[in-house]
Amino acid sequence: MQDLLLVRYGEIFLKGLNRPYFIRALVRKIRYAVRGMGAEVWVHDGRIFVRGFSDLDECIDRVTRVFGVHSVSPALEMEKDDFDSICCQAIRMTEGLKGTFKVNARRSDKRYPMNSPAINEEVGYRILTAHPELKVDVHHPEHLVNIEIRDKAYLYVKVIPAVGGMPVGTNGNATLLLSGGIDSPVAGWMIAKRGVQISAVHFHSYPYTSDRAREKVLDLARKLSFSCCGIKVHVVPFTEIQTQIHEKCADEYTTLIMRRYMMRIAERIARQEESEALITGESIGQVASQTMTALGTTDAVVGMPVFRPLIGFDKSEIIDVARKIGTLEISELPYEDCCTVFTPRHPATHPKLEKILEGEAKLDTEALIARALEGTEVVRV
Amino acid sequence: MNVYLDNSATTKPCPAVIRMAGELMEGGWYNPSALYRPALEVQKRMEEVRTLCLTAAGASGGQVIFTSGGTESDNLALLGHLKTRRGGKVLISSVEHPAVSACTEEIRRMGFAVAEIPAGKDGRIDLRQLEQMLDEETVMISVMQVNNETGGIEPLEGIAALRNLKAPKAAIHVDGVQGFLRVPMQMNRLEIQSYSFSGHKIHGLKGSGGLIIRKDHAVRPVQYGGGQEKNYRSGTENTPGILTMGEAIRDWKPEYSDTIRRTKIRLWSEIKNRISDAVVNGPDPESDLSAPHILNVALEPVRSQTMLFALEGDGILVSAGSACASRKQKISPVLKAMGVSVSRADCSIRFSLGRYSTEDEMVYVAERVAAQYETLKRYVRR
Repeated sequence: MQDLLLVRYGEIFLKGLNRPYFIRALVRKIRYAVRGMGAEVWVHDGRIFVRGFSDLDECIDRVTRVFGVHSVSPALEMEKDDFDSICCQAIRMTEGLKGTFKVNARRSDKRYPMNSPAINEEVGYRILTAHPELKVDVHHPEHLVNIEIRDKAYLYVKVIPAVGGMPVGTNGNATLLLSGGIDSPVAGWMIAKRGVQISAVHFHSYPYTSDRAREKVLDLARKLSFSCCGIKVHVVPFTEIQTQIHEKCADEYTTLIMRRYMMRIAERIARQEESEALITGESIGQVASQTMTALGTTDAVVGMPVFRPLIGFDKSEIIDVARKIGTLEISELPYEDCCTVFTPRHPATHPKLEKILEGEAKLDTEALIARALEGTEVVRV
Repeated sequence: MNVYLDNSATTKPCPAVIRMAGELMEGGWYNPSALYRPALEVQKRMEEVRTLCLTAAGASGGQVIFTSGGTESDNLALLGHLKTRRGGKVLISSVEHPAVSACTEEIRRMGFAVAEIPAGKDGRIDLRQLEQMLDEETVMISVMQVNNETGGIEPLEGIAALRNLKAPKAAIHVDGVQGFLRVPMQMNRLEIQSYSFSGHKIHGLKGSGGLIIRKDHAVRPVQYGGGQEKNYRSGTENTPGILTMGEAIRDWKPEYSDTIRRTKIRLWSEIKNRISDAVVNGPDPESDLSAPHILNVALEPVRSQTMLFALEGDGILVSAGSACASRKQKISPVLKAMGVSVSRADCSIRFSLGRYSTEDEMVYVAERVAAQYETLKRYVRR
């Protein structure tokens, strides 16, 4: 007898001829997730199984966070010839359950002496005898006791929902603008969930932002790294650009001009990384640089799609996701990021492009960007 | 040049301490409660350290309870003594370290009323206000010897005199973590009931410290077990910490305080000469009201965090306010209690010197502070 984890996938079902490609990708990601646990992952009959793990709860926690996994069930694999022991295990697995149940037997080994209805009946009877507080409901049961008779017998009851989405890497690459705030990690997580391999760009303004702020961003990336199967973080020195903007441009436009520089640099890095899009954590109207007009002016400098998955989210909704994915606690650490250091008291909410261009004309854009890229440090987490 | 000016957060262990720590790991690791000779040896050496501590605090005849450091000592002093009282009023100064101020809630839960003694503009408690607050109901007063952020020396003599006059039954606890050895202490003369100190602030090791209580001052334990420290505190004694703390006390020469004060005054004059807008938070650094080793300077409009990181780039390590609380990044409650504006508090840097600080270092630090100030003041929020 052995503990296993039965893994179900969601949207991959909808795929046609390329379904095996997605399944192979998912298996690779599950193997990545359970590495170090001594577990084995294999596909059998269109389903994914994990076995050989030392800690079931840990294995469930890891596998349910793999993008592409729809749900998992802890299952038992046992010899099919000893029907009594199958019944005993079914009784044990239904212990503590309340409400209604149904036994759902499937027999792919047609030589097995009992057929599926007979198994349902016998196992159902024994469960009812052992747990008289349970009731049978064959139409809408609250719990389904699954028994599969294949080369061996497989039993499972619990279905634990997983994160869903698509296996990372099956939908190309994109580059995330990662600050130390609450929003950008959530935005990155949401796009990665759709099967996109993400890399990140962080702008660091030493000494206005500290090494602790930088470490905080790397911690955020580390938090995302598990689900995203590793993240390459580009830490871009941004002090020179920020101080030049601060010195030469009109106060109310400094934030927007800064955002435009961030987008330009992020796009260059994205192209090196063979990314097809940028990702930001902006949502309409959250701050002055996120009004529709302002977003339009930042988009204007980029020649690739900019994904803003949080665009219609309220802050409280973003916080809920951040809490769920474990980034909130890190984002709430107080170290300031480069976006807030020089924030003007009254930034423009309806910026005029000609004013922005006028400000930028005072800066040697190409030289500034080249120096920033030259000083960029790459950290793999 | 690398300059460490965060000695109020912790100090570099002195060579004598490091040497002794090594020796103790090799040959002095026995449990002092055991009955065999090597253990007895360790116990005897611990008793010598007790005497050293009592002498250093002017508390002969008192008892030393070795603890894990300042926070534990303050907790034991406050909660342990209040366990022996039945209701009444506890006065805590408004500029205390969290080791004391965070006990407030627990003290209230124990059934005592707690009131804060307001501070004046120099960060020292206001004796006139204290006089009004003291009455027969007062059971305990907690003040610090030296404020960890501003370096202000509290008027212990005045506090003790007022207590004798208006609340003779009240016990006084003094948090001496920042003052021990650097500022003279006379527990017996001032009739101060308890005094806490820490080893790692005087070039000893972290995890060592103690609470001195005067004879007849009642304290009940706050943690229970084998009662190793005369039943006041349980847990196997941290003998390497205790014995090296003794070594740090032995190694501390009385003239260090004067040298450190001279060095601090030099730092201030070098900064003041270069930055006319620099302002001190706390008492005048040259006066006797200021501890020898702490200088808190506001450099508006440059935020302290930015200055701190810029100085780190120059090899200078300082702190913005108190390191114990700086991860929380709130405006320092101490500066707030002194009436310092939020913007000034946000631009305040604490330089804290130790026995290894030199005047050459101070000149270098002042030069770098001034240079960074010139650059950074151009890039502030407008």
